[in-house]
Amino acid sequence: MIGPRIAGERGVSLVPATLEHAKLRAGWMAAPEATRFWGLRLVDARPERAEERFKKDATDPSSVSWTIAYEGEPVGFTGIFDIDWVARDGESGLFIGRTDLYGRGIATEAVRLRTAYAWAELRLVRVHNWIGLRNRGSRRANEKAGYRQVGRFDRSWFRSGQWYDEWLGEVLLPEALDRSPAGS
Amino acid sequence: MLGGIVRGRRVSLRPMRDDDLPGVSRWSADLRVRRAHSAGYWAEPATLATWKERLAEASKDHRSVLWAIESDGALVGSAAVGMPDPAFSDIVDVRHLTIDPERWRRGLGWDAALTVHRWIFDIAHVRIAATRVPADAAGALRIAERLGYTTFARGRRAYWHDGAHVDETRLRMELATWDERFGESERDYEALGPEAEA
Repeated sequence: MIGPRIAGERGVSLVPATLEHAKLRAGWMAAPEATRFWGLRLVDARPERAEERFKKDATDPSSVSWTIAYEGEPVGFTGIFDIDWVARDGESGLFIGRTDLYGRGIATEAVRLRTAYAWAELRLVRVHNWIGLRNRGSRRANEKAGYRQVGRFDRSWFRSGQWYDEWLGEVLLPEALDRSPAGS
Repeated sequence: MLGGIVRGRRVSLRPMRDDDLPGVSRWSADLRVRRAHSAGYWAEPATLATWKERLAEASKDHRSVLWAIESDGALVGSAAVGMPDPAFSDIVDVRHLTIDPERWRRGLGWDAALTVHRWIFDIAHVRIAATRVPADAAGALRIAERLGYTTFARGRRAYWHDGAHVDETRLRMELATWDERFGESERDYEALGPEAEA
């Protein structure tokens, strides 16, 4: 599924992903500045691949995808994936492709908007997220929205001569927002 | 991909066939099986035609390995692992390991788990096996502990069973642990002797 438009603060908004946005991904994911904590910097840059990926995301009933916009321009993407609609739990992810805009709080605002949507519109009760332990910016953005560490996976991947650990965090539906009959 | 034959003491892993699918279909609809797994089971209940499509897809999927588990010539379970994602370093994800509930408490689960892990560590020689199970899945946790898994995360309210949320336990097991506990006794092949001189 594609998520709806959600206006945030400081020029940040989540907007419905489009095929044009999807075509930006390959360029973003080829850049070393953006991928230290993300994958192997391998891209399939064919336009038809971007289209396939976009269609898959748009029709997947267990995910919600957005493009992150800053001052109206697409700068990255985020979403909630592998949603278990019975347990009401999903896994979140976020990628900022425009590294020249790092440090402006874009990820923090995007996580805040995404998390609020998970509670208010999707009626999830939990969202979890894997982040490179040394990716302090991403961890901080998630922690500001309420994510807390529940585990750590040591030596998850090896890159450039050193091991990287992963942080596993979760955020639970705040009690004040729990409007289920049982309040569970 | 479909996993090949790996022989245990009481069970064997072998490639899954179409005639295994009625059993798979039955387990997918069994609440005892669904409660014991992190995501229900391999997939949600479906018609046999859909299960055939799923088996064909699994055969083509190079990122996973699927086995049927057999004992005394009868289908008794199934298992699947996710192959290492190239972005991470040699980590296999154990996705499901299911024994027919009518045959629980006979030691088949332990033998099947040991055999799957012999494939993971002795044949594939992977660095880490990881899995997640509901925190109340006592049988699975006992087997994991006996194999040498350790808990690295505890998530809250990750599953919904019997009208209540259940926490999750995430576990990992290292190749070094396998070598220490089972490296001598659980080899798939006997060591070769010195090469004969030509």
